[in-house]
Amino acid sequence: MSLPSPIGLLAELTHRCPLGCPYCSNPIDLVRASGELDARAWTRVMQEAADLGAMHVHLSGGEPLTRNDLAEIVNAANVAGLYTNLITSAIGLTPQRLTELKAAGLDHVQISIQGADPARADAVAHFKGAMKTKREAARHVVEEGLALTINAVVHRDNIRDLPQIIDLAQEWGAGRLEVAHVQYHGWALANRAGLMPSRDEFQTAAQVVEEARERLSGDLVIDHVIPDYYGERPKACMGGWGRQVIVVAPDGRALPCHAAASLPGLTFANVKNKSLSEIWKDDAAFQRYRGTSWMPKPCQGCERAEVDWGGCRCQAFALAGDASLTDPVCALSPNHATVAAAIAKDTAAPRAPYRFRRIGG
Amino acid sequence: MTDPTPKLAPGVRLHGDGSKLLAPERILELDEIAQSIVRQMDGTKRVSDIAAALSKEYNERESVIRKDIDALIADLAAKGYVKL
Ligand code: SF4
Ligand code: SF4
Repeated sequence: MSLPSPIGLLAELTHRCPLGCPYCSNPIDLVRASGELDARAWTRVMQEAADLGAMHVHLSGGEPLTRNDLAEIVNAANVAGLYTNLITSAIGLTPQRLTELKAAGLDHVQISIQGADPARADAVAHFKGAMKTKREAARHVVEEGLALTINAVVHRDNIRDLPQIIDLAQEWGAGRLEVAHVQYHGWALANRAGLMPSRDEFQTAAQVVEEARERLSGDLVIDHVIPDYYGERPKACMGGWGRQVIVVAPDGRALPCHAAASLPGLTFANVKNKSLSEIWKDDAAFQRYRGTSWMPKPCQGCERAEVDWGGCRCQAFALAGDASLTDPVCALSPNHATVAAAIAKDTAAPRAPYRFRRIGG
Repeated sequence: MTDPTPKLAPGVRLHGDGSKLLAPERILELDEIAQSIVRQMDGTKRVSDIAAALSKEYNERESVIRKDIDALIADLAAKGYVKL
């Protein structure tokens, strides 16, 4: 099987972030500012990603705006021909910064919101006034003529507000809304008991999205990232290990998935010493779960082996204790019962206080 | 028949080689005809102008071309790639 090119580069420019979302997908062990790659290194990475065939770069973190050299990095990505997508909390997205980023060639801005009700949303973000800042930033993005996506991570505390979240995305002038159920990695896994919605709540949310999609067709694109725990078959995590996306962490480690650093037994190459192309083609961590030959039993020979690629390695590790097993979310997995057990335990538990994300754990 | 002026939605652009539309989190491969139609969408041309231009280029009747354009544009608009 020939090796496909990555479609996208997920550039985690920093782990610094003014917010403290308890569902943050960053690892518990966050990289400090002193360990971050500099703009020169990122410039090379952008070119190497484009040479490798990538078309999108997602500038993410942490909060990318905490970097003063962000415009320089955007410019480098743009020069390399990549479609630049800024994934931001909008804290720090002043009109001046936006103008500067647009001039550097920014294509698209994705602003995350923590809910529709300002007080409750700010409580989840662990930041007073976050919602107000986001609303103003969204207005500037639209005024600059840039495309806007609103990303709403939904969970136990805000899933019932989904209709208002959809209204808000429209009102703010977004062309696209991403409704993403929490995926339980990193900080989200530590907070699972406070975040997991019930199956009924999830099903209601799915109906709300379906209805809104029809009603708003042509005005608002709604992408719905459904929660793995309520599925019968897993998703192709990252489009398959080492198939579509290459992640570069703030310190330069290249990962097949942003959560991969939490898996035991894998060591990752660093873009400081190796080109992205060498890493993509030969690195042992990228080879480890690539394709189908590594697969265990129900996956081996399964008709969906090249559809979902056996699901998520991090989920297999979190739920079944072994990253090389079939994702327990799959009903064919011998460990499938662990999912139901986790749901039962977490949704029955009284709401646990959040452990807010912060550097130093 | 209405005659709108289609243009790429904000945040949508052609990939460097012209064969794909890039949008946030999405890529759309365009066949040859779709590529020519999209290349004509400059935000000033109406659908009838585009049909006239392509009718020359492909030496095909305008009414036939017009059908292809209407179908493509309706599809791209519903998917959020194009604004009318
Ligand atoms: S999820 Fe929240 S805490 Fe994590 S990087 Fe995004 S805005 Fe910051
Ligand atoms: S057995 Fe493996 S390949 Fe088949 S559906 Fe389940 S996870 Fe996917």
